[in-house]
Amino acid sequence: MFSISQDFAPPFKLILPFFILGSIFYVVSVLFLFFITNENIVMLDTKILSFIHIFLLGFVMMIIFGAMAQLVPVVLEVGHFGVELFYAIWPLLFIGSLMMGMGFLAYPTLLPFGGVVVLIAIIIFIAEIFLTIRKVQKMTLVMSSVLIANIFLLAGIIFGLLMALGYAGMIDIDINLLLRSHVFSVIGGYVIITLMGLSVVLLPMFGLSHGFSMKPLKNAIIIMSLSVLFVIASSLSGVAFFEYIGYVLAMIALTIYFFLVKTIYSTRARKEIDIYAKSLIFAYFSMIASLIFGILYLFSSYEPFLLSGAWLMFFGFFGFSITGHMYKIVPFLVWFDKFSPLVGKQRVPMLAEMLPKKSSEAQLVFCGVGVVVIAIAIVLKDDTFIKAGASFLLIGALSFVRSVFYMINYK
Amino acid sequence: MYSKDELFLAISTVIDPEVGFNLVEMGLIYDASCDDEGNAYVKMTLSTKACPMHQMIQQWVKDAIKKMAGIKEVTIDLVWEPEWNITMADEHVKKALGRA
Repeated sequence: MFSISQDFAPPFKLILPFFILGSIFYVVSVLFLFFITNENIVMLDTKILSFIHIFLLGFVMMIIFGAMAQLVPVVLEVGHFGVELFYAIWPLLFIGSLMMGMGFLAYPTLLPFGGVVVLIAIIIFIAEIFLTIRKVQKMTLVMSSVLIANIFLLAGIIFGLLMALGYAGMIDIDINLLLRSHVFSVIGGYVIITLMGLSVVLLPMFGLSHGFSMKPLKNAIIIMSLSVLFVIASSLSGVAFFEYIGYVLAMIALTIYFFLVKTIYSTRARKEIDIYAKSLIFAYFSMIASLIFGILYLFSSYEPFLLSGAWLMFFGFFGFSITGHMYKIVPFLVWFDKFSPLVGKQRVPMLAEMLPKKSSEAQLVFCGVGVVVIAIAIVLKDDTFIKAGASFLLIGALSFVRSVFYMINYK
Repeated sequence: MYSKDELFLAISTVIDPEVGFNLVEMGLIYDASCDDEGNAYVKMTLSTKACPMHQMIQQWVKDAIKKMAGIKEVTIDLVWEPEWNITMADEHVKKALGRA
């Protein structure tokens, strides 16, 4: 008998706050867009910094951390070291995200305190993951990706804390020097490598794909890791050439990854294009569009291309990857909690029945249109277009929150 | 005590809530037998090692067989060789899943 794990499903009440708060932060980050004009869209604008931290910490990290409570045993094939630690993570991440959002917006003295609170939340998370990985007897490629991603997260958050201390005037440090290291460690090193690793488990699982090679994933992760290291080296040494090598390597890694996903998609037995598949298709095409904008920027040096590419990466790729997976993870957790004890005793719903058809489709359409309109608005430097896109996104984000609560309250 | 077909029939009441088909028609049950003392044995797999419901599904298989009269014990042998793929599923499952 082959045993996999002793604990594949953590308590529902443990994960619930991550998903509720994450979806609310998604709406809050969309609300920011109404107050952003083309003049704000520069790297160190305080509104942009506040918006990005609310989006990345409050939405992206909050939901990834909650999802990892569920997915770590699935991916690592062992039970958590201490899943109860997640009870401490979400309040700290919630408070820290709010403090950082407020700090950038109006009260810079809050930044180091918010940064420390976020640091504590993330260190608890990383420690739990590392201690869980120690239980693994044989490391697979996906498990290695989790380990690498979390090492980059630790590095990224330390760079971030140093920047927060500098921003608040507590230490004398060149913030610009560390900015790229912070951004690339967290975004490229953690978020992207995590998405790469998890997706090759989840996409085949839901699509029933078999018979594809994992070698492209290995190449993509190695190249992405090198990319992050080159950007950090550039950031610390000031050698601009390293930075461009880093960017090119990141583009190569994402392209390899995209073709792996395409292979998984084409070998799937389950052809149904449900809300999950639609969300992921939009996410991956956003990623490709983001890469194209990145290439255009490298050749033209027209900054709106870079900013539009970053927008598509954040709200298109990250946003839709996360919301798409929520339509699989939340119904499973609710089903496990409420209906699994009833199996064999009475009729229980299929997971697909627990999805809110209209609001999930509304989320997909309105958020999709919003993402595209804002991407165009950034290139055209058109403030009215940004507001128009934000309006679409707000309806989509509210539909998403409605969908999350529908699934959570399904009876 | 029970034939393989009878055991498969009992297991066919277990439905995967994600895909909506029972384990037998999915081709996840490789073998089943039962001795005269009521000790049942099921050799099965799952569509993926990462299946978060793997413990539950095994329990459901046990419960489904234990409902049969005279069954004392059920042993599940969860195997990964041969690895499951869609060709092992019944034709109607393949058709239903393959419908875009």
